[in-house]
Amino acid sequence: MALDQVEAGTWRTRARQMATPEFVTPAILLTPSILLLMLVIAYPMVQGFYFSFTNGSLMKAGRLVGIDNYVKLLTSPAFYHSLQFSLVFAFFNVVGCYLLGLGLALLMQKDMPGRAVFRVLLLLPWIVPSLVSIVAWRWMVADDKALFNQIVAVFGGSPIYFLSDSSWAITLVIIIKIWRSFPFMMLSLLAALQSIDRSLYEAAAIDSATKWQSFCNVTVPQIKNISIVLGLLMTVWSVNDFDTPWLLTQGGPANATENLIVLAYRYTFARNDVGMGAATSFVTLFILMVLVFFLLRLQRRN
Amino acid sequence: MNETTPLKRWSLSALMLVIVAFLNMPIILMVLNSFQTTEQMLLSRSVIPAVFSLENYRGLTQTPFFQYFQNSVIVSLGATVVSVSAAVLGGYALSRYRNGLLQGYSTSLFAVQMFPVILALIPLFLIFQPLGLINNPLSVIIVYAVVNLPFITWMARSYFDTIPRELEEAALIDGCGPIEAFLRIVLPLSGPGIAATSIFAFLFSYNEFFVANVFLRTTNAMTLPVGIRMFMDQFSTDWGSLMAAATLMMLPTLVLFMFVQKFIAHGAVAGGVKG
Amino acid sequence: MDLIAFYARVTRRSALKLAVAAGVLSMTVVPAAAQQVTLNFWDMIWGDKAYPAAAQALVDRYNQENPNVKVEYRSVPWSNWYETYVTAIASGSAPDMSTGGGFQAVQFYDQGAILPVDDVVKQIGNSEFEASTLDAMKYDDHYVGLPWALNVKVVLYRKDILEAAGIKPPTTLEELRQAAKATTGNGKFGIVASGDPSGAHWITHMAIANGGGLFNKDGTAGLTSERTKEGLQFLSDLVKDGSVNPASAGYTNNDALGAFFRGEAAFVLAGATASSQAGDAKSKIGILPPLKGPHGDVQGLYFVNNIMAYKQTQHPQETMAFMKWWSDNALSLWTDGHVNNLPARQSLAKNPYFTNDPDISFVMDNYMTGARTLSQTKGGTFPVLNTIDGDGFLLSLAQAIWQGQPLEAPLDTAQSHLEEVLGN
Repeated sequence: MALDQVEAGTWRTRARQMATPEFVTPAILLTPSILLLMLVIAYPMVQGFYFSFTNGSLMKAGRLVGIDNYVKLLTSPAFYHSLQFSLVFAFFNVVGCYLLGLGLALLMQKDMPGRAVFRVLLLLPWIVPSLVSIVAWRWMVADDKALFNQIVAVFGGSPIYFLSDSSWAITLVIIIKIWRSFPFMMLSLLAALQSIDRSLYEAAAIDSATKWQSFCNVTVPQIKNISIVLGLLMTVWSVNDFDTPWLLTQGGPANATENLIVLAYRYTFARNDVGMGAATSFVTLFILMVLVFFLLRLQRRN
Repeated sequence: MNETTPLKRWSLSALMLVIVAFLNMPIILMVLNSFQTTEQMLLSRSVIPAVFSLENYRGLTQTPFFQYFQNSVIVSLGATVVSVSAAVLGGYALSRYRNGLLQGYSTSLFAVQMFPVILALIPLFLIFQPLGLINNPLSVIIVYAVVNLPFITWMARSYFDTIPRELEEAALIDGCGPIEAFLRIVLPLSGPGIAATSIFAFLFSYNEFFVANVFLRTTNAMTLPVGIRMFMDQFSTDWGSLMAAATLMMLPTLVLFMFVQKFIAHGAVAGGVKG
Repeated sequence: MDLIAFYARVTRRSALKLAVAAGVLSMTVVPAAAQQVTLNFWDMIWGDKAYPAAAQALVDRYNQENPNVKVEYRSVPWSNWYETYVTAIASGSAPDMSTGGGFQAVQFYDQGAILPVDDVVKQIGNSEFEASTLDAMKYDDHYVGLPWALNVKVVLYRKDILEAAGIKPPTTLEELRQAAKATTGNGKFGIVASGDPSGAHWITHMAIANGGGLFNKDGTAGLTSERTKEGLQFLSDLVKDGSVNPASAGYTNNDALGAFFRGEAAFVLAGATASSQAGDAKSKIGILPPLKGPHGDVQGLYFVNNIMAYKQTQHPQETMAFMKWWSDNALSLWTDGHVNNLPARQSLAKNPYFTNDPDISFVMDNYMTGARTLSQTKGGTFPVLNTIDGDGFLLSLAQAIWQGQPLEAPLDTAQSHLEEVLGN
C-alpha cells in the first residue's frame, strides 16, 4: 500500500502509517544522523539563544539582561558595517563564481585532448586548504616588492598596498574567495549542462538558431533552477565564511574586511562578551533565513 | 554539435592549458618558492628558484609541524568515520523512501548548511569544557562530523540513486528485512561511492580552520591549519618556512584528490545538489 | 554549566591538597626521591627569533637544578594572545604560571583566575623594584603579578640616514616631524609603523606625550580630550606629510622593524632594546631622548610586563618558587634572547650588560621619570585595561590613521567604542 494513497487526517491512519516498515526503517536509518544533529546543532542553538540574553563571558557566567545585547548590536555602526561587507562579499562572490564557473563549464563541455586532466586541475583551488591559499596569495601581493607589484612596476604603475589599503583589501578578499569557490560552481554547472536533453539542441539547430540563440533559449532555461539553488548555497557559504577574511587580514585594515562572523568571533573571544557574540550569530542566522526564503520563492515561481 | 577539426580541438586544449596554469598560478608559485630560502627570495625576487634548496623543509623538522600533521590526520579520520557512517544510512533512507519525516529531515539538512558554525561553538565550548574535551580531538571530530553531514549525505544519496532497486526488491521477496537488504546487498556494491564520500569528508575536515582554532589551542592538540597560522604570525617574514609548510600541508589533499577525481566525472557530487 | 561552582571546586581541591601536603611534609624529613611535579609555564615572546631557545635553555637549567620539578615551557605568540588565555582559562587548561602584558594579571584576577604573588614580592623585597612598577601591579590590596620587564617605548633613529641628510637628532615632536619629512624620498620613508598592537602603541604614546591619554582623570574615556586629540592629530599630520610608509597599516611589528633595520626608514617606535635584534645595523641605530611636546610635556608610554600565577595550578608552592628563581636568573634571557624590554629588578639593571650598554643606560636615566602606563591620565591599574589592550579597536584607529583617513571619524568611533567598553 503506497503511502501517498493513504488519506491523511485521522490519527489512527497516521499511527498505522508510522508502524509500517516504510516509516520505521527510515527512522532507524536516520537515528545516528539525528542524534548528531541534536547534540551539535539543536541543543547548542537553544543554549546560544539563552546566552544572547545574558552578559556573561567565557570565564564567568553572567546574568540575564533582556534584549540589551540585541539593542546594542542593532544600534552599533560596527554591525551595519559588517552587514554591508557580508552582503557585498556574498554578492560579488556569487556573481564572479557563476560567470567564471559557467564559462569554464561551457568550455569543458567541448571535446578536447586532456579534458579529464583539466577538469581535475581546475578543482585545485577548491580542494586546497584555505590557509594554503591565503599563504600563496599573500606572497604574491604582500608589499611593494611582491610579484604583483613588480609586474605593475613593469607597466609603469605605482605599487598597490593590498593589505593596508581598505578598498584593495576588500577587493583582494573577494578575488580570493571567488578563486576558492568557482570550482564547485563549475562542477555543478557542468553536471547540469551535461544533463540537458540533446534533442532540444537538435530542435534548435533545425530551426537554424545561432549558437547564442540556442544558448539563450535552450541552455539558460534548463539550468535556471539549479543556478538559483547554487546561488543560494553560495550566498549562504559566503556570509558564513570566517576563514578567508580572518586568515588574510583578521578583519582589517581598520575593520574593512570584518564580516558578521568575524564580528561575532571578536565579541566572543577577543572582547570576552559571550552575550554579544551569541546575539550577533543569531541575527546573522535570521538574515540568512530571510535571504533563503526570498531566493526559494524565486525558484518556486519558475 | 558541429564537426570539430583536430586543429580546433588542440587549440582548445592549448587555451585550457593556459587558463589552468593561470588559475593555479598562486599555488604553483608557492610550491616553487618553497625550494628557495627566505634570504634568496628577498635578494633575487625572481620567480624560478636560482638555487634549489631543501633548507626550508629541513627547518620544519625543528618545529612541531609533524605533531600538527599527526593531529590533523587523526581528527580527519575520526570525523570521516563518524560522518560517513551516519551519512550513508541517512542517504540511503533519503534515496529509497519518501514521507513527511524524510522531507523534514532533508529540509533541516539544508538548514544546517545555513547555520553559522560560531553559533554552535560558543555553547559547545561551554558544554565540552567541564567534560575536559577542550584541546581534545574528540570535540573537533564531533563538530566536523555534523558540519559535513549535509553535503556527505547528499553525496551518498545521489550515489544510492544510481543503484537500481531491483536488487533490494529481489531480496525483500526472498524474505529479507529492509535493513538486512541494505547491509547484505546494497552496501557491498557501494564501495566506490563510499570511497568518494569518505575522501570528501576527509578533505573538508583536514582543511578546516575555524572550529579547530577554537577547540584545539595547545601545541600537542593543534591541527595543521591552526599550527601553520601560528607560524604566519610568529615568523611573518620567514616566507621560506611558510611556503614549505603550506606545500607539505597540501600534499595529502592532492594525493586523495587523485583518487577521487574519477567519481566526480559522473556528477556524483553535483547530482546531490539538485535535491 | 555553572562555571563559578566549577572553579570553587577546583580551589577547594587545591586547598585540600595543600593542607595534606603540608601535613605530610611537616611529619617527614625531605625524602631523597620526592614525587615529580610538573609545571606548565607559558611565556610570551619577549625578544627575537633567538628568544624561545634562550628561554627553553633557562628552563632546562632549572629542571636540572631541581630534579623533583619538571617545568614544561611553551612559547605563546603575541598574535591573538588574549583569546589564547581566555579560552585556556575558560576551558580549565590554564598554565601554572605565565608571563604577560601589562594588565593581563589584573583582569584575570578580577575574573577569579589569578593567585596573588604577595609572598614572592616579600621574598624578593620591595627595594628591588621601582615604586611605580609595583604600584602598577597592585589591585585589591594584592600584588597580582610580579614586575618582570619594562617595555619603555622609544623612538629609534638611523644615525646614517640623519647624517646623510645633515639633520641633528630631533628633541621635540615638531623637530621629529621636520626630520621625518626631510628623510622621505627615493622609496624611503621618514617613519615606518605597523598595524598590529605594537603599531597601535603610537596612539597611546602620542596621547601621553602630549599630556593626555586614553582616559580622563576621572576615568572616563578621554580619546577626544583636547590634549589627546592634538597628539593624534600630530600622527595624522605625519601621514599627510607623506612621511609614513603607506604599507604600515598592513605591516606587523616584525615587518616594520625589518624595514627599519634594512635602512628603509629613519624613525620607528619600538621597545628600548629593540636594536639588539638589528644584527649588523646595530651600530647605526640610536635612541632619541624623550621628545618634548608643544606644551612642554616630556612623557611616554611604558608597560610593566609581569609574571603571574594561576588559581588553577595544582602546585602553588612550586610555582611561586619557580617564579622567584625565574626572576632572579633572568639575565640570560637578555644576553642570549635579546629581550626587547628593560629589566624591572633593580639589581639586574645594575648588571654590566645593561650599564655598559649606552642605549640602555640612556633610556634608564632619561625615560623613567616620564614613563606612564595605559591608564593615563587616570593612573593605577584596573581590569578593563586588559580588554582595551587586547580588544583591537586601537589597532583599527592606528590603521585608519596610517591609511591617511582624516582623524575625526575614526577617532569618534574609537571613543564610542571605549565608552562602550568602560560602560560595562
